[in-house]
Amino acid sequence: MTAAGTPAAADGLRRWLERERVFKWVPFVPVQGLFALLLLPNFLLLVYLSLLSWRITRGAWWSSAFTGLDAFQRALEDTRFLWALGRTFAFAAAAVPLELLLGFGLALLCRRSFHGRRFYTSVFLLPMMIVPAVVGYDLSMLLIDQGPFNQLLSLLTGRTITVRWLSEYTPAQLAVIGADVWQWTALAFLVFTSGLAGLPEEPIRAARVMGASRWQIFWHVELPLLKPVIAIAVILRSMEALKIFDYPMLLTQAGPGNATETVAVYLWRVGWEFARVSDAAAMSLILLVAVALYSLVAIRILRRERQRLAEEGAA
Amino acid sequence: MRRRGRWLFPVVRHALLLAWTAVTLFPIYWMLMTSFKHAGEWVTWPPRWFPHEPTLVNYVKVLTPGTSTFELGRQTLKILKPIGDSLIVSGFGALLAVVLGSALAYSWARFGTGGRSYPYNILSIRMVPPIVIAVPFVVYFVTLRLLDTYTGLILVYVATCLPYVIWMMLAFVEEVPVELERAARLMGASRFRVLRSVVLPLTASGLVVTFLFVFILNWSELLLAMTLTNTEVSTIPIQLNKFQSANEGRDYGPQAAIGTIATLPVIVLGFVIQKHLLRGFSFGLLRK
Amino acid sequence: MAGIQLERLTKVFGATRAVDGIDLTIPDGEFVVLVGPSGCGKTTTLNMIAGLEAPTAGDIWIGAARVTDWEPGERSLGMVFQSLALFPHMTVFENIAFPLRIKRVAAEEIARRVRTVSDTVHVGHLLGKRPATLSGGEAQRVALARTLVVQPTVFLMDEPLSSLDAKLRVEMRTELKRLHAALRSTFVYVTHDQAEAMTMADRIVVMHQGQIQQVGRPLEIYGDPANRFVAGFFGVPAMNFVEGELRPETNGARFVAQALGATLPGHSIVAGPASLGIRPEHVRLADGRESWPATVSLIEPLGDETLVFLDYGGPASLVAKVDAEEKLAVGDRRSFTLRLDRVLLFDGTTGGRIMG
Repeated sequence: MTAAGTPAAADGLRRWLERERVFKWVPFVPVQGLFALLLLPNFLLLVYLSLLSWRITRGAWWSSAFTGLDAFQRALEDTRFLWALGRTFAFAAAAVPLELLLGFGLALLCRRSFHGRRFYTSVFLLPMMIVPAVVGYDLSMLLIDQGPFNQLLSLLTGRTITVRWLSEYTPAQLAVIGADVWQWTALAFLVFTSGLAGLPEEPIRAARVMGASRWQIFWHVELPLLKPVIAIAVILRSMEALKIFDYPMLLTQAGPGNATETVAVYLWRVGWEFARVSDAAAMSLILLVAVALYSLVAIRILRRERQRLAEEGAA
Repeated sequence: MRRRGRWLFPVVRHALLLAWTAVTLFPIYWMLMTSFKHAGEWVTWPPRWFPHEPTLVNYVKVLTPGTSTFELGRQTLKILKPIGDSLIVSGFGALLAVVLGSALAYSWARFGTGGRSYPYNILSIRMVPPIVIAVPFVVYFVTLRLLDTYTGLILVYVATCLPYVIWMMLAFVEEVPVELERAARLMGASRFRVLRSVVLPLTASGLVVTFLFVFILNWSELLLAMTLTNTEVSTIPIQLNKFQSANEGRDYGPQAAIGTIATLPVIVLGFVIQKHLLRGFSFGLLRK
Repeated sequence: MAGIQLERLTKVFGATRAVDGIDLTIPDGEFVVLVGPSGCGKTTTLNMIAGLEAPTAGDIWIGAARVTDWEPGERSLGMVFQSLALFPHMTVFENIAFPLRIKRVAAEEIARRVRTVSDTVHVGHLLGKRPATLSGGEAQRVALARTLVVQPTVFLMDEPLSSLDAKLRVEMRTELKRLHAALRSTFVYVTHDQAEAMTMADRIVVMHQGQIQQVGRPLEIYGDPANRFVAGFFGVPAMNFVEGELRPETNGARFVAQALGATLPGHSIVAGPASLGIRPEHVRLADGRESWPATVSLIEPLGDETLVFLDYGGPASLVAKVDAEEKLAVGDRRSFTLRLDRVLLFDGTTGGRIMG
């Protein structure tokens, strides 16, 4: 294995790396190093900044005065912030179930092979691939008062419809939710398609021979077996839905007023437009706590489903 | 007791599927059409479904060198440099993440390094909204002089997509039977040799899929790009966001052209990895 | 209680004729085994009887009813699958109760019937457990219980024992036979294992390439095979075959092969290429009127018997089954005879049995 004339040092190094105890840590060093250098100081900085009352305009951050929990107090009293927080969770609560249901329905329809199935599957996966910013911009073009969407609605209903999607409170919110649903139903479709394909065939056949109706098979056999898949879909999508930034920015610039101002947008404004960095930091931490609680629950569910699948799979 | 007539169901099915197809394709179609329209046709009532005088003017405007500007109510958008910047940042970010992440996935799958919970802990990184890390990152990078640099953004992208890389590669690595590696080692292969000759070829498609997926992720990213760059580095999504707030003089045509240019490669790549996406995306929860 | 009738049953997949126009009558109460190598069409036939596959042509009758177009659930069948198909997310009790729940049987009735059935197959103590925690044999019984609980007219089984280890398989075979004796329902059992077919069947249906090769009682199939395929499929170790030619003679025929020639009395046959088949237990190590010399090339002791491979000059060795007491060593030169009354002749081109 070693060529004649290889320097002893390189050989020794190689041998040392081969030992399992060393080998297995090799990839960890750079990754953990990256996290340590990037994310850890980052987090500490976040905490520190939140304890100041610093604005970018007031000089360097390291010389800014320590003001303790003032920023947090301001944040919790900031109704705009609380509204943004609530609004973000509401958007997620509206969009995620909708796209999961749609995705599931589409996956069910495309389950057995039939003419044109491949065409439909390819088309349905398209939206997932598009840059979200492009989606936001695209829909902003479609939804203008005199735009094609309103015209379509007029055609379909026979009356002239000019909903001001981008400039009225509720329509704007619907537009943002709509953007999310339009783009991410595709992911739900993907996950459910593969979940349905992975269902074990013979229990379903056994149920058919027993005389179970299609609905009974679906409810008693297929759905319980799909629980892990549903869990992934819910976790994946809700994780991402809470972060939405691109759609409000490009569709409505978080308008009209603050109708579509998600928490990500608001924080961006506080930090960049208002330059109140410490406030942004404090709010970020509060947001982090809110999201962390949610994610911990989600990860626990993920683990449990993985475990259950391992147990069932032994059957 | 005959089997029920099966003619109704396919009709209903096609109707529903076609409906959603229309919903899906309509915005894409519209953007494509707008990119070929000249200014007069952008906003008309009734809207024009097909440009009466198709033109490539928007593409030409957008692809000639220059920087995007906004003056006197008129915008000019240029994306030649942003295309390059996006390619660099997304490409290197994805590459680095895949290299590090797959090695780590392998290490965890075979040796359990980092503990049983490691992948779940890593996943929690992904749960953090980017805005939360954006704020301190700006300050941090200013201090380190990494703001508005390629390196800075690439490093951040690597950190944010490592969780996905690890989870996806885990699924692919677990498909390689351990016995193959053991057999190779018994034949005298070193661990590195085993990686090179056994594991790498068998996970090659997984690596490609993961790379493309993460590339798409980075390519589409807006928030971190916006906050961590200024003039030196500028990615494509940023261009789209510029001047969105302008109420007059919105450049629909060029913006549609940018949208199309930004999206086309991603759609093509997406098609390529579609089938394989399923395996990687399962988080170990989908039955084989 | 019902018999089954298959009339010109055919199933075509693309260009393959998986089941090629078979006719079969299964009397009520019989234990019938469909046996053959993989791809012979036995599982497809079973699936058509069950209604899981729709026939391309032909008809299926269960009892007096023509069930060809009926849904599986309407045919009143019990089916056990190769993988057992237990619902992994339900307990044993819920698994067994499921068919009754579908028919909306009252809860107390369900509990009663589940308990009765689970006692019959000895799984009463497992009712609260999940399939993943059961052993192979226990899971088998639960799958059986699940079919029994609806008291079907016909039982279908698709290689149910193939996932069990050898010892368990033998035990379950006996149990199934006992069950059949007690219930006296019609059992249709599919397997690729000829030993299983021999021990369990009232009648065996041998299938190959979508067609029925022979139907008969186990000893008939074994001793009186209809063609070369059936002869070679049954019996362990397999029947010895010698290729050669038949030449008619004044009182009988002479079979001539590369290193073997035998006069077979009482056969009035047409000349032509033929295969001679003789089972290992009918090859004797002895001198006799017609014996041939050979060298022992391999010995496989089985305990109660010994298999001896004899090189006699032909293209392949002949296998003989001899008493374990025989003292043999590789390289011995011995003579062997064939029990000529047990010799079977098969047509060289069609494989059909040549009677005489």
